Amino acid sequence: MGVMAARTQKPLELILARNLLTSISTPAFLLDEHGAMVFYNEAAGALLGRSFEDAGRMSAEEWISAYGPFGDDGKPIPLDDLPATQAVRMGRPAHGVFRIRSAGGAEHEIESSTFPIVASEEGSSGAMILFWRLDANHGDEVPR
Amino acid sequence: MRVKVWGARGSVPSPGPKMNRYGGNTSCVQLTLDSGEILILDAGTGIRTLGLDLATAPKVNILLTHLHLDHIQGLMFFPPCFRSDVEITIWGPASPEASLEDRVARYISAPLSPVEVRELPCSVSFRDTRPSEWQIGSATVRTESVNHRGPTLGFRVTEGETTLCYIPDHEPALGATLAELEPEWVSGYDLACDADLLIHDCQYTDEEYPEHAGWGHSGMDDTLTFANRVGARRLLLFHHDPLHSDDFLDELHATARRRWGELGGDPALVEMGMEGGELEVAPAPVSASVRASV
Repeated sequence: MGVMAARTQKPLELILARNLLTSISTPAFLLDEHGAMVFYNEAAGALLGRSFEDAGRMSAEEWISAYGPFGDDGKPIPLDDLPATQAVRMGRPAHGVFRIRSAGGAEHEIESSTFPIVASEEGSSGAMILFWRLDANHGDEVPR
Repeated sequence: MRVKVWGARGSVPSPGPKMNRYGGNTSCVQLTLDSGEILILDAGTGIRTLGLDLATAPKVNILLTHLHLDHIQGLMFFPPCFRSDVEITIWGPASPEASLEDRVARYISAPLSPVEVRELPCSVSFRDTRPSEWQIGSATVRTESVNHRGPTLGFRVTEGETTLCYIPDHEPALGATLAELEPEWVSGYDLACDADLLIHDCQYTDEEYPEHAGWGHSGMDDTLTFANRVGARRLLLFHHDPLHSDDFLDELHATARRRWGELGGDPALVEMGMEGGELEVAPAPVSASVRASV
């Protein structure tokens, strides 16, 4: 069997993951096998202050630059140090506590769990990242 | 290429006086290439009578979309399996749980079967298949995983300028609004894109579908929307529910044709999978496909 020529369609496991994330009220991102953010749900859009429809697909560098996560020094955490990167590359779940910044400039402390999506021994197809806000100042941005 | 339907029923064989025209045998489609080679799509109970027609074929390729019983039940009664001069290659979805051969052998083994796979007189080989593309004779076969319950493939077979797509068990609208999704997020899109003939799941009416959401099958509206999105030229509705009688399916067909016309297509190009039915598949002029813009 050979390798397919042109493939425009996402792997089925990513399609199903997106459909799931669309249906839940926990803020969540979907990353592809390169770590690019290919979808986030309405709850995540409320947290980030910008809907996915407005933002569109973003490379790993773009979403880190826009939203973080940031370290205690206020600088974006390097891509290689992120648990999500490890999850995509190593195919292992990861967990962490970070600060992110919404499109409106508000900072939030969040806890995130990243679940790699592995459909075959050929490696990870991407990952789902689910978020929980830890800061007390929830405001009106997050559905409770 | 030429298509002959040997079984268009879904879920379970459903013979009976009210099912005679569309037939009660489960999924099996014979694809005869212009080069003369034969591909068999699925091995539901329809494959038994197909096998009687293949008295002298030295090689047989069977492409299994998945291993639900209505897609493999006929294997054990496929006459070429019992000929020592036949070479059978079975392609089917890979699974992390066990090999294709081991999973098929759960059916062709005691106590469900009087024979074991290793006892079959034919020479049989199993190909664990992942999303990929390969050649069988004059045809290019492409496969992708599609949304159904358990590991399931759809097939796109291209010979020359002619393309057939076969996705008999498919629920692309589960958790999604098909009409609004970008193509890259639609299960089966690449397989079915611009197919000259799309053979697709249409197990339920729109009224029945909500009670069966998540079962891995499509309601009519989703089937038509999918076919419209991918720009299929002809559509063969397939995998009929075992409760749907001939008269019921006639009504379903009339409704599907009317709705296809409302989507801008030619109603005559929506057809029903019918046991014994044959179709000649030819390449389409570019202007023949109907597709919504998103």
